[in-house]
Amino acid sequence: MDGHAYGYNLPISQKTKDVPWEEKVRIVEEVKSDFRYHEYIFGCLNCGVCTASCPSNRFFDYSPREIVQRFLEDDVEVLYDMMHEYIWACSQCFTCWIRCPFVNNPGGLVAIMREVAVRNAFDATKDLLKPYGRVLLKVMTTGNQLSADMLQPDFFPDWGPKMADNMENLRAKRMAIPFDVGKAVKTAWEVSLQTAIELYSIWRETGIFDMLEKIDPNLYNVIMDMVEENEERWEDMQEE
Amino acid sequence: MSLLRYDKTKFPIQNNHAHYDEIFERMEELEAKGEILIHRITEEHKPVEVYTRTGRIKTVPTNKLWHHKSCGQCGNIPGYPASIFWFMNKFGYDYLNEPHQTSCTAWNYHGSGTSNPVALAAVWLRNMHQAWKTGYYPLIHCGTSFGSYKETREQLIMNKELRDAVRPILKKLGRLGPNGELIIPQEVVHYSEWTHANRYKIKELYEKEGKPKGIDVSNVRVAIHNACHVWKMIADDYVYDPEIYGGQRPAASAAVIKELGATIADYYTWYDCCGFGFRHILTEREFTRSFAINRKLKVIYEDAKADLIVTHDTGCTTTFEKNQWIGKAHDMYYPVAVMSDIMFSALACGAHPYKIVQLYWNCSSYEPLLEKMGITNWKELRKEWEDTVKYINELDKAGKHDELQEFFKTYDLYEPYSRTSDGKPRASATADKVLFRS
Repeated sequence: MDGHAYGYNLPISQKTKDVPWEEKVRIVEEVKSDFRYHEYIFGCLNCGVCTASCPSNRFFDYSPREIVQRFLEDDVEVLYDMMHEYIWACSQCFTCWIRCPFVNNPGGLVAIMREVAVRNAFDATKDLLKPYGRVLLKVMTTGNQLSADMLQPDFFPDWGPKMADNMENLRAKRMAIPFDVGKAVKTAWEVSLQTAIELYSIWRETGIFDMLEKIDPNLYNVIMDMVEENEERWEDMQEE
Repeated sequence: MSLLRYDKTKFPIQNNHAHYDEIFERMEELEAKGEILIHRITEEHKPVEVYTRTGRIKTVPTNKLWHHKSCGQCGNIPGYPASIFWFMNKFGYDYLNEPHQTSCTAWNYHGSGTSNPVALAAVWLRNMHQAWKTGYYPLIHCGTSFGSYKETREQLIMNKELRDAVRPILKKLGRLGPNGELIIPQEVVHYSEWTHANRYKIKELYEKEGKPKGIDVSNVRVAIHNACHVWKMIADDYVYDPEIYGGQRPAASAAVIKELGATIADYYTWYDCCGFGFRHILTEREFTRSFAINRKLKVIYEDAKADLIVTHDTGCTTTFEKNQWIGKAHDMYYPVAVMSDIMFSALACGAHPYKIVQLYWNCSSYEPLLEKMGITNWKELRKEWEDTVKYINELDKAGKHDELQEFFKTYDLYEPYSRTSDGKPRASATADKVLFRS
């Protein structure tokens, strides 16, 4: 079953073709059972305003209209296939949301689909998120997504020669930033340990660490080593 | 409560599908039931009223603010928060910038999907509790934090299941109100709304301190880029103004530029995003740079002939600013300065381009803009900054940390000598805290 008579221009990949139908239904139902689903989809005129204004549509084979249409048609085959690579083209800008006459939120639907794809540790998602590991490590362990020391010129040669200048004497430059808690190099600002410990609790209680373990066990181990070390530091301090 | 200066102007839009007022009614109901505690904006916050897209009056606090910083801004555009704090000090506002804040983690969510609504809500409520506990009202620096927090608030107010899921987590953290309530602020406020509310004061400062230094922005052409997560997420809750684009586009940023007397250069892709894409800027960079160059930089440079793109968020500033040089490889080099509304305003009001606005971190060309603004001594100012960094580096490398501390006492405008509005010196937020020091 190709399941894409119009619109969805990609062939259903062999990998997803071979997945049992019941599994595909389970995954799509997981998306549709999210409490946000019915707040994000109301009906569709097929007007295409969302796709016409979608930045990702200009450079990828991606259409927010397709997302909405496939949900309304309950096209399990295509939706399941979309959840492997297609949805990752979305820029999450929500231009589709503000422009839709029905106030549909295709970007929001994509957010749910991505979350379900990560939770179910699809192989395509694992591969896709590999280059993102540095960011995950930073945000999971410090609560900051970005820090000055992450902007190494080797990672961003396309940002030009000034990147190398910026990184020279980085520590001194950061110290010269004239506001409270802004002088950090390895975090965006100086984050208190207590704050990080609370964040770890949130990650644990909401299943985010479990999610990470399934998607990248090696990264998970590194993160947990750092988390446990910080938790021990915090306990020692509390005892003192 | 202070009123708008233009409060007699009738707002032209009454959007029929706006449901946002209901959120506030529900908040009151939930508070009456003891489920939530609303962190209210009071007179001590020196509130200013502004319009939103639907004509709702939104109350923007200007004083006694808890700064919810942006990891992208602090990490990559340090002149962004520095300019905000510079204005706070100039206006004598009381504020708190402390280390007990985590970022919203929503950039990560929109980039990788590795979170969920319960985690996002718990992070938001934890930070809001911290602000409430200190007695300061939260001011959100980051556009994605602002958009995500607006959406999270709506989800929490409209979904009992989410409130029930997040409450035990907050309880475990000790982050509930005195009677087990979730702490929810009356308004979610972005710094660009604060800037908008202060635009007359910014203009006064420009007249008083910027112009006497020879600074003149009247011949500067500015293209405004509104950040997607600021105005497209929960679109009914952001500043619009009948005097700015007839109330048809977001007002913040454009209003302060207009007030300063610069020319707003319109362009036909004004509604487009920048190409940041959350994941894309890091791992799909061909997309980001292609979109930024083709849809925005080219149009802004060739059609609008702008000297400057003014933004009000982290990702857009980075995307436009870092993706210019590579255009040379394809004969698509469209040099235009990029900075946030507050950074440009600070420059106009006479702030140091390097020490405060930290333009040193920019990869794109900003020097022609400085010349055009009349900041013709920028080379001397840059030398001053470079000498400062060199001096700090030498002391640091030599392990002379006591001397460094002494130096910072006179160098830092803010720590540990920032003062509250009643004139008392504020102790350093970090002096006695265990931090991820680096």
